[in-house]
Order: sequence, then structure tokens, then C-alpha cells
Amino acid sequence: MSLEEFKNRNVGQQTYKMVQSDPTPKTGKEQFEQVVRRAFKGELFVGLYVTLREMINALFRGEMHTIKYPFEKLPISPRYRAIHDMLRLLESGHYRCIGCGLCEKICISNCIKMDTRYDENQRKEVSEYTINFGRCIFCGYCAEVCPELAIVHGARYETASEQRASFSLFEDMLTPIDALKLQQEYDGFGAISPNADQNIKKTPLAY
Amino acid sequence: MEAAVLPEVTSAGVIIKAIIILAVIAAIAGFGTFIERKVLAFMQRRLGPMHVGPYGILQLVADGIKLFTKEDIVPQHSNKIIFKIAPVITAATAFIALASVPVFPDFTIPQWVPLLGGVFVPSIAADINIGILFVLGMMAAGLYGPLLAGMAQANKWGIIGSARTAIQFLSYEVVTGLSILAPIMLVGSLSLVDFNTYQTGGLTSWILWQQPVAFVLFLIAGFAETNRTPFDLLEHEAEIISGYATEYSGLRWGLFFIGEYANMVTVSILAAVVFMGGYNDLGFLPGWLMIILKIAFVFFFMLWVRASWPHIRPDQLMWLCWKVLMPIAVINVVITGLFMMV
Amino acid sequence: MYEQIAFYLFSVLTIGLFLVTVLSKNLLYAMTSLAAGMVLVSGFFFLLGADFLGVVQLIVYVGAVMALYAFAMMFFDATKDTKENNTNGSWIFLLGGLTALLLVMMFAAPIFSESVVASYPSVEGATNPQNVGMVLFTKYLIPFEVAAVMLLVAMIAGIILAGKKMDHSLTTNEDNIEVKTLSKEEEL
Repeated sequence: MSLEEFKNRNVGQQTYKMVQSDPTPKTGKEQFEQVVRRAFKGELFVGLYVTLREMINALFRGEMHTIKYPFEKLPISPRYRAIHDMLRLLESGHYRCIGCGLCEKICISNCIKMDTRYDENQRKEVSEYTINFGRCIFCGYCAEVCPELAIVHGARYETASEQRASFSLFEDMLTPIDALKLQQEYDGFGAISPNADQNIKKTPLAY
Repeated sequence: MEAAVLPEVTSAGVIIKAIIILAVIAAIAGFGTFIERKVLAFMQRRLGPMHVGPYGILQLVADGIKLFTKEDIVPQHSNKIIFKIAPVITAATAFIALASVPVFPDFTIPQWVPLLGGVFVPSIAADINIGILFVLGMMAAGLYGPLLAGMAQANKWGIIGSARTAIQFLSYEVVTGLSILAPIMLVGSLSLVDFNTYQTGGLTSWILWQQPVAFVLFLIAGFAETNRTPFDLLEHEAEIISGYATEYSGLRWGLFFIGEYANMVTVSILAAVVFMGGYNDLGFLPGWLMIILKIAFVFFFMLWVRASWPHIRPDQLMWLCWKVLMPIAVINVVITGLFMMV
Repeated sequence: MYEQIAFYLFSVLTIGLFLVTVLSKNLLYAMTSLAAGMVLVSGFFFLLGADFLGVVQLIVYVGAVMALYAFAMMFFDATKDTKENNTNGSWIFLLGGLTALLLVMMFAAPIFSESVVASYPSVEGATNPQNVGMVLFTKYLIPFEVAAVMLLVAMIAGIILAGKKMDHSLTTNEDNIEVKTLSKEEEL
């Protein structure tokens, strides 16, 4: 790149397409001709045609673009980071969380608080788990760091509520036990990639 | 139409007709808002109002309840009496103009109806022989609604709105009058019934084919006089908030609205009767259906244009009126006169 | 009977409205009542069967002349009352006397009305506008044409008066704003 080009800061102007407008009329005669030309060119009718075409397309060819929002919702990306979900194991129905505390540790806004204890089988049990959604910035680190894909980001983006606490308890985020069959495997942030099987190689320790 | 066959028009019939016009046109004007919202929505690939009633038909009722129950605000420093009168003028002139226009077919109330049995209800409430001029005159008087509203409200947007009312309505009245003068010369009468009888010969006898220029001019001027979109500078939201209606709320604003839609209906009826064959039968289609179809088409055309075309600037508006439309209208009248003399 | 009721109603309303026009100190009231009075005057024409003249009264006076008054009123504050100061008493005396004389003549008119005969009785079977046209283009052709020429002169004079300084901008104090207006109209 030469210095000349480098110093040209009018970036993008080179590829702009200039609209060819008619030359500015100078005399009254030219002005008159321009008006007549534009009046009879039928540009106005092109406008009418466009709106009518859109109306026919919308009415009869199913191109209506309205989503009746509270009743219909657009699909959102699996990578969308909304209110968290706590998933269950599909086989036993037990929650996936093993109480490792990684999410609490990594949370950069310090909004996850968890407490664990040993239950009667000497398994770790989550005794208390809350997320302070007043602080949560929905960064997604907790979902990324979770080794069990237990805490994930769900699709609940309508978070208007009388108090934020209504979303934040472990039981609120946990998949209801009767809706276990409806539980979707999370393929968003931190999940295993779809082609994970092909990416598996022998670990260096195997030899 | 043989006038001799028709029964005598009594005052009871005229009063019934007036009530019918008032009720039905007010309802149509209200319904027009629904149609407008629907058509504009479809043209933008939206659904429009959908939730109140099936397909949102009862949206009109919801809007009405909202307007009726809204707080009626009269600004502190306004001229209160004029402020309150102005919306009534708009609505009243719009409906008075309909008095001399054939709106529905005539009929006789059946005998079994108590009190009113056998009363003949004419198709025109006031069958004066200068109907078309009367409509133009009433529409000219209609400019006082926006004008006084803007001047009474002690608001600068209102003043600008009423100034634009004065120039726009005054200027385009000239075009309306001149454009409609050519068909009047052809028919040789100012009565809308004569216009109708002139065009009895089917599709080819429509004045539209003889006077295409006058028709286009009349439509353009009609848009300007009913304050429709390419020319709705009186309440151009982007420039002057709401123009003359800035300070109005609730029912008073609703009266302006009804007046505007009633005016649209009037212009549609005029275009249908004067240029598009009136209420004559066309082939197998009966006359009453034809007139409704034509009125509906002109009404739809107004909405269609609103969806398609942008506003123009006030100076372009005046330029268009005085330097383009008026000379064309005058030339049209002169040429028509020459053809009639030859 | 209807016509009599209508006549008295119109009379009372017209006189009342025009009184408001004269006596009100508020410009907006004066203008509104004058316009409303004009509408009611056209009612008299309708009562007399002169539909055409009634509508012309509506279009010309209500639609055009009064709207021009209104347009001039845009330059004043319409919501304030005007202060009138009248120093010349002799004018009031003269005008009052003339009005009284006019009223006397009007009330005396029925006495002589029997001898008044229409010199151009309306043609039977002709419609309203046709009657007006016949009179205008036969008996009163010259006054009609003179009036037309006068209007034309007034129009040309108005255009010249208004157009004299059109090339001079009041806001920028620049002469020759022709270039700017050209570029504006080019966008049309």
C-alpha cells in the first residue's frame, strides 16, 4: 500500500454507487421539461404497484410478517443467554448439580450463592442455591464452566416480575419433575459441539 | 329515472333520511378508521388491529369508548368558546354536505310499521337543483373547523396549522371548482340527478372517458380538501406536531376525525356520481351495488395512496396548485367549451 | 308556516351574530360570528328559492372572503382583546344618523312595495343558474364584463405588488435568491 492510499481516510467512498440524478435545470424551459418528464414517467404508479403487490402477497401468499407476540414467539438462538435453567438427569430425575461450586467461583459479578452438605448417603447435596438477578450480567461463564451441564441458560427472556427473587431460587430454575420429558438438552454456551465425536482423539496419556 | 312515478316527498321522509344519513355515515366514518388501519397494515405486511372482536372489527367500539371517556382538556389561555365550537363545525359541515348528495336508494317504509308506515324516503335529503355547488360550498365552509381550532388554542403549532388550512383549502377550492366545471358544461346542469341520467348508457357513457383530465384534477383537489396524505399538511406530524388538532383530546378530537372521514365519503360519492356513472345499473350489477362499489373503490384509493406516497412540502403544494393544476384546469375548461361549440 | 319560522329564526340569529361582530372586542369572536352570519344570510336565499345565489353566497363570502380575513388575522394574537380608542365623535354621529335613516327607509318599504315590479321576471321552466345567466348576459352584460376586467386588474396589481421584492430575502438580506429557489424546485 502506497502512502497515498494509506492517507486516504475516505474509506468506503470508493465503492459507493452514485445515484444518477438529472442535471439541475437552468432555464424555465428545462425546468418545465423536467416536470413533464417526471410527471409522465409513471414513477408514482410504481409506488402504487409496490404497495398493492405487498398487500396481495401478505394476504394471499402468506407473507404476513406480524407475530402476535404474547401468543406466538419467534424462535431464539440456543446461544441466547436468558434466565438460567437447572437441568435434571434424564434417567433418574435427580438434579445434575454435583455441588462442585465452580459456578460460584467463576461468577464475575458474585451473584451465585450456594451451600452444600453431605446427605445420609454421603453424597453431596445442594442445600441452598440462589442467583441474585439484580447483579447477574448474563455473561454465561457459569454455564460454560459447569462440568455436568447442570446450570445452563434457558429461553425465558420475559423477566418482568414483581420481584426478581421470583426467578432466583434453585427450585424455580430446576426443571419440574413432571416436565422431565420435555427437558431440552442445552446446545448453547459451554455445551458439547455437535461434531464432538469426530473431535475425540487419544489423549496423550494413553500411550 | 322518471320523477313523475315517484311518490311525494314529505317532511317526515326527509327527517328520516337525515337521521339515516347521520347514523350510517357516522358509523361508516368510524368504520373507515378501522378499514384504514387494516389496509395500511396489509400494505406494510402487518395484520392491523386483531384482538377486539373477530379480526379486530370491534376495535371501532373500543376506540369510541376510549374517546368518550377521555379527559376533555381545554387549554388555559385558549379562546374557550371558539375552541369548543370548532370541532362541531367540521363535523356539521361534513354531514350537511351530504344532504344534497344521493347516498342510498330511495324506498318506502312498509305499511305495517307503526306511525311511519307508507312514508317515502327519498335518496337525496334535500333535492335542490344545484346539488354539486352546494357540496362544494359546504366543503368550503368546512375550512372553518380547522381554521378556528388552530387560532383559538393559543398554540403556535395550531396557528401554523390553521394558516396552512387557509392557504390549502382556499387554493384547492379553485381547482375543485374549475375541474368540475367541465363536466358541468357537458351535462348542462348542476343537479347530481342530471349527472346520473347523463351517464345511463353503460360503461362508455361515463364522463370519466370524456373528461379524464378533469377527473384526475378533481381527485387531486379532493385529496387536498379532505386533508389526505400527499397533502395532509394541516396536521403533518413530522413538522407541526398535529397542526390545528394539537391541543384537542377526547371527543372533540374525535369530532374532527369523524368530519374528516365523512368528507372522504362525500368526495368519494361526488367522484362516483359525477365521473364514474353514478347509480346506474351496469350489466347484471344493480345500481345500488355499483355506487357502493365505486365509493368503496375511491375510498380504498385514498388509503392506497396514503400507504404509497410521501408528503409534499408546503411550497410544493402551492406550486402544484397555482402553477400546474389551475392552468391545466382552465385549459381543460376552454378546450371543453371549444369542443361543445364546434 | 315552516318558512315563516325559518325566516324569523334566521333573522334573529343573523342580527344577533352581526351585533356580536360589531360589539365584540375579541377578533376571533368577531370573525367567527361574521362568518356564521354569512352562512345564515345564504339561508334567506334558500328560503326565497334562489338556491344558486345562496350557494354562491356560501362559496364566495364564507369560503373565500372570510377565509382571507382569517388569513390576515393570523398575524394578530387572536386570543387577546383589542383596545379601541375612538376620538372622533362626529363620525359616530354621522354613521348613527345614516343607520337610523336606513332603518326608517327599510320599515317604510312595505308601504311602497306594491308598486315595485320586477323588470326582468324570471323565465318559467328555467332553472336557477339559467335565470341568473340570462339576466347577467343580456341586461347586465356590460357591468358584468367591467367587473370581470376590474377583478383581473386587481389580480395583476396584487401579483405585481407582492412579486416586486420576491428575489430579495428578508431573513438573509441577500438579493438574488433565485439560485436557491431554483435548486429547491429542482427537487420537485
